[in-house]
Parts: sequence; structure tokens; C-alpha cells
Amino acid sequence: MSNSFKSARPDPLLRIDAVYKSYAKGAPVLRGIDLEMAAGERVVVIGPSGGGKSTLLRVVMGLEQIDDGAITFAGASYVTVTGRRTRIDARVRRSIGMVFQNYTLFLHLNVVGNLILAPCKVNGESRKTATARALTLLDRFGLAEKADAYPSQLSGGQKQRVAIVRALMLDPALMLFDEVTSALDPELVAEVEQVILQLAGQNLPMIIVTHDMWFARRIASRVLFCAEGRIIEDGPPEQVLGSPRTERARDFVHRVFHIGG
Amino acid sequence: MNYVYDFASVFRNADTLIDGLSLSLEIAAAANLIAVFGGFVIALLLLSPSRLIRLPATLFVEFFRCTPFLVQIFWFFYCVPMLLDVYLSSRALGILALSLILSTFNAEAFRGAVQAVPRDQIDAGIALGLSPFQRVAHIIFPTALRLVIPVLLTNGILAFQTSSLLSLVAVEELMFSGKMLSAKIYRPIETFTVVALIYLVVSLPVSQWVGWLERRRVRAER
Ligand SMILES: Nc1ncnc2c1ncn2[C@@H]1O[C@H](COP(=O)(O)OP(=O)(O)OP(=O)(O)O)[C@@H](O)[C@H]1O
Ligand SMILES: [Mg+2]
Repeated sequence: MSNSFKSARPDPLLRIDAVYKSYAKGAPVLRGIDLEMAAGERVVVIGPSGGGKSTLLRVVMGLEQIDDGAITFAGASYVTVTGRRTRIDARVRRSIGMVFQNYTLFLHLNVVGNLILAPCKVNGESRKTATARALTLLDRFGLAEKADAYPSQLSGGQKQRVAIVRALMLDPALMLFDEVTSALDPELVAEVEQVILQLAGQNLPMIIVTHDMWFARRIASRVLFCAEGRIIEDGPPEQVLGSPRTERARDFVHRVFHIGG
Repeated sequence: MNYVYDFASVFRNADTLIDGLSLSLEIAAAANLIAVFGGFVIALLLLSPSRLIRLPATLFVEFFRCTPFLVQIFWFFYCVPMLLDVYLSSRALGILALSLILSTFNAEAFRGAVQAVPRDQIDAGIALGLSPFQRVAHIIFPTALRLVIPVLLTNGILAFQTSSLLSLVAVEELMFSGKMLSAKIYRPIETFTVVALIYLVVSLPVSQWVGWLERRRVRAER
């Protein structure tokens, strides 16, 4: 019965099955994460500090070993565990892009150099066509005049926008954003969120970790509340942000909305 | 004592010293070039999670750090051709010996710098699909190199000066030429004063440059 229901739906874009993860023995950080995400979704993950949000994104990005569980992406096996070894399919990983909380532009390369490194080295694209694509994308996100600048000459907001464009150069099927505005001065937050909204407008699937509840409400098609390594609430933004079912989520949302202003 | 200085006879034979200097510079430059990469590779070995790789690298570095340069050079010049049964020119042997010495010093500097490469930068490289080798070549090496350039330059000057020890194994570099010249014109004071000044004139700008780089970094960090 449940089987026929499942097969009636298209393959999810991302499917996380009972993922457990610990950094140190006996201290699990993810304690059984199950998640199915469809291609049209924009999932916002909220929750208290230390709840495992970053770890979840890092696992989806294929940056971490896991203890148990499996992840499939677009129907293909992506992360699997056999015994104590985690196998991560590098080819599948390439369809996922990630932007981090800290600045991760390569300081020895200028903006275009940052953008074309992976296309040229990983995909074997020619410098010329990669540069042309880079310039087009920079232009689309209002960064054209920064093409030759080095990261040290950019503002925090510009660095994060370039980091987003760098990930877009590889044409990802899923984007992960881990608190990409929380290292920024308040007045620079909007320009970065604007870029993410622009991508949302193009229906790029994404998972976003943020503490900015207003942004969450604006961009999410679905909100997860994570704490202690579990997904405690999962639903549309109006519900999870508006009238959370659990007391934990209610407390959290209350607190953050009040701090956020 | 009524010594009459005669620098003129040194300058009349300047071409001997210039030949020596050019070989010294050639050996030091080649050794520096090799030791930038050699030092980086040894640093990676020192940082390897595998003890089987770490141990020989550590022994190698400790050997060079805990024995005198001159002994290393003698050992290298007499033992390597016999052990490996190869004939190398004394210039090539000089470059090799100096490269090894300098590599172990640069490795120490690179080790700290490689560890200082932010984890996020490497993660970003993984997220971009770069292979482990590509991450080393395009992220870790250039990022570490920037951190380590002042130390590389300081080590580089030291290597240039250390190359004078090669005179003792008959490499015809600057110090060797100085010895030849002083024996020829019987003017050791003048000759070795000029030789010392040549080492100084070559090294001083580099050491000033290092000072400038470090002051600039301190300013940038403030
Ligand atoms: N590399 C690591 N090594 C050891 N422990 C880690 C590591 N990264 C995270 N942890 C631990 O795992 C737990 C979850 O961390 P994680 O960064 O995933 O939380 P988070 O929800 O993203 O928190 P925040 O909102 O503060 O970013 C925390 O207790 C943290 O201390
Ligand atoms: Mg986090």
C-alpha cells in the first residue's frame, strides 16, 4: 500500500535515509535524519546553535563521513556506508554547490580566477569560454566591475556574492547555504539575500540554514526545525514559523523573532 | 705595523670573483627553486596521517637539522657518487646538496603554513569538485606559499651564504675564487674583504625586503 503510494511520486531530488553522524565516539550530532526533498523545494533549516544544522549541510555536501544511513541524489546512490567506511560518489557530489558562513574565496586568485578554477580544472572547460561565462554571471549579479578585483579588495557582502556565483559556475542542481550572511555587517546582509532570492526566482532547489526569520519566511517553501540532531518539525513556513506544534520550536521561533526585531 | 692596502690588485682580477659570484648565484637560485617545492612536499609528508610516511620524512629532516652543514656537504660529495655510482658535475652536486639542506628548512616553515590554511578553504575546494591533488596544487600550495614567503627568502639568503662551504669541496664558487685569488696575489685581507662585501651586497637587499614584507603584514593584520 505505502509502496504504491511512493512509486506514484517522481523520484525525489534528495533523499536522506536514517543518517547518523558523530564527530567523537558516543556523541552523535545527527541522530537519525530522514528527509525527502523534491526538485521544486526551497528548504530552510532553523534551530538552536549546536543542533546539527551545519553538520547536516556538510553531510549533504559530501564533506563528512557518516556513521550510518544513506543519501541518494536524483535517483543515484550518493552517500553510502559499508561497515565503518563512508563512500561518497564524487560525480554526484558535483551537482551540489555550497556557500559557507566564512569567506572561502581563494585569496591568491582574483574574482574571475576564483570563478573559473573549478570549471577549467574539474570540467576541462577552456579558459576562454569559462571566463566568458564568468563575466556574464558576474554581470547578472551586479558584480561586473569586480571581475579583476582580489578578495581582499571586496566587502564581505561582495565576497559572499562572488562565492555564490562561483558555485553557480558549475551549474548545480542543488545549492546549500550555511548562514551565509551571519558573518556580515547588518547593512550588507540584504545584497546577499537578494542574490539568493534571485536564484529562488529561477526555481533553483536549495537548502538554507539561517537565523534570519524574515528571510526564512520570504524564501522558504518548507521549513525544518532541527534540534539535538533530529528534525523536530517539518512543514510549510506559515506553520513552522507561525504556529509551531512543539513547545521547543515555539520557544525558539519566539526568541529569534524577538531578537531579530 | 705598516700595512699598505692594495685593493687595486683585487679589482684588476675582478673577473675571477665575478665568475665565482655567478656560480654562487646560479647554485643558490637553483637550490631555492628546487627547495620551494621540495620543502612543500616534505611538509606534506610530515603532516601525513600515516606514520609510515611521517617517520622517514621526520628522520630526513632531523638528520639535516642535527648535523653540521659542512659534514652534510662532505658526506654528500664523497658518498653519493660512490653509493649511487653516478658521476655528477660538482656544480650539480652542489645544487643538490644545497637543495636538500634548504628543503628541510623550508619544510619546517611550510608545515606551519599548510596547517594554517583554513579548513573552510579546503572544504570549498571539495565542494567545487577539485580532486585531492588539485586541492593541494591550487589551494593549499598557493595559500601556504603566501604565508611563508618571508621565511623562504630568509632561508634563501642563508642558503646563498652556506654555498660558500662548497669551496671546501672544490666547487669554484665565490669563496673558492676568493681563496684562489688571495693565493695568487698574496692579498688575503683585501680579497676576503671584497668577498665579504659581495656576500653582503647580494644579501642585504633581500633581507631588507623581508623586513619590509613583515612590517607590511603586521600593518595589514592590525
Ligand atoms: N568538526 C567538528 N569536530 C567536533 N565536533 C563538532 C565539529 N563540528 C561540529 N561539532 C559539534 O557538533 C555539534 C553540532 O554542530 P553544528 O555546527 O552542526 O551545529 P549548528 O546547528 O550548525 O550550530 P550553529 O547554529 O551554532 O551553527 C556541536 O555540538 C558541535 O560542537
Ligand atoms: Mg552552523
